[in-house]
Amino acid sequence: MRNIVIILLLLVTACKDKDYTVPVPKDALQNDCIKRTLGPNVAGLNIEFAYAMALPLTKGKIISAQVEASIAGAAGTYLENKSYYTNGSGVDVGIQVGDPSVNENNFTKVNFTKDTNAVTLRYYYIIPKEAQGKSVTFTFSAKSSDGEAVSYKMGPYVISKMDIVLDLPVKDGDFISIADMAVYNATDAATKTDKLDLVYLFRSIPNISFGHALVSPGGEPEYLPDVILPAGANKITKISKVWNLRDFHLARLQYGIYIDDLDFEQLKMSDAPDYAINLKSEAGVWIETADGKYRAYIYINKADDAKKSAVISMKRYMLK
Amino acid sequence: MKKILFLLAIAFISCSKDHPVDEDGLLITSRAECYVSNFELLGVDFQTVRTKNAVIDTTACTIDVTVFYGTDLKNLYPQFTLVTDAKLDPKITGKVDFSDLTNPKSYTVISGNRKVRKTYKVLITVQSK
Repeated sequence: MRNIVIILLLLVTACKDKDYTVPVPKDALQNDCIKRTLGPNVAGLNIEFAYAMALPLTKGKIISAQVEASIAGAAGTYLENKSYYTNGSGVDVGIQVGDPSVNENNFTKVNFTKDTNAVTLRYYYIIPKEAQGKSVTFTFSAKSSDGEAVSYKMGPYVISKMDIVLDLPVKDGDFISIADMAVYNATDAATKTDKLDLVYLFRSIPNISFGHALVSPGGEPEYLPDVILPAGANKITKISKVWNLRDFHLARLQYGIYIDDLDFEQLKMSDAPDYAINLKSEAGVWIETADGKYRAYIYINKADDAKKSAVISMKRYMLK
Repeated sequence: MKKILFLLAIAFISCSKDHPVDEDGLLITSRAECYVSNFELLGVDFQTVRTKNAVIDTTACTIDVTVFYGTDLKNLYPQFTLVTDAKLDPKITGKVDFSDLTNPKSYTVISGNRKVRKTYKVLITVQSK
């Protein structure tokens, strides 16, 4: 009987709610940071951070915020000078708190012009080409009117070796150069025969599905019907069709899939053919150039049968 | 003591039932049926390369499949659907090269009781212009 009473007493004690107390904020300037972008860090694209800083009203106000990147960001790098809130309609509304940011060498700085005690500023670091294959770190810091300073380190973040190019329009009979990451029409192609890796063509042939195609200039003539090749364009590029690989950087759709350096490194292309026909919008192809120097993924953003054209985007990785 | 003996006796009876398995660890059953019920052929993009349903002749043991013009025959993934408890030999472990059209690939279906074996030939026709 005594045991039961003890157990009951324990239960009563265990169920007792603790009184909630409002947390007491630190009496000092504080900061915090998160990285908002996902996936590999590709030169030309940005890395986005949200940097938050705050201090109690009695202590003063924030006077400046800055970011130091270990490798200076490319043109377009900036720290927001607006603080955002989401209104009742779900729209982010910006309130200006300082002057537009100024980039100086590796630093990006915002001087505050409004009395501000707490703010979150976005930082957009445009990844420079020279950072490819290296790591980059960031030091976020803020100063307050009472002379306090805080800082927050982020990274290191590895910058991918990949190159990216978006939204290249191609039309029937155009040539694609992986080395240049460019599209050439027949006239331009005649002077760049050593750089032509693929021919884009569209054919509507009865009884078969040919449609949009990427074919090696040196491949089977069967897959290059009525294509006039410039003299010397004879590269045999390996091509492997892919479906459902809508890389977020290339497709910019809702799918959180990213092609990274590792995908190119581990790709097996030895027995791939030299053509891909019947390509559709949102499909893609893995590519390996004839000299084995580059691997690439070409994504078809849009394929237009009527205009015999397409819009492609490409990620490229240098193997050698 | 009597109880323990009784329990042991029950345990012995329940374990003694024979469930033979083959070299792959698959259950050998009493089924003697031995055929392919469906056949699929996928390209490297895991999309079908068939223009229409494969024609499976369970008497002649052939699978006739017509594939799209331009199909890369060297890199295909065949998929067999077999009758209950049957298995396939050789096993399909990855891409298969079907490019030698004069020497069609053969696959043997082995029945559930592992006593009946039927070898099917996969005959591929490429859609022509």
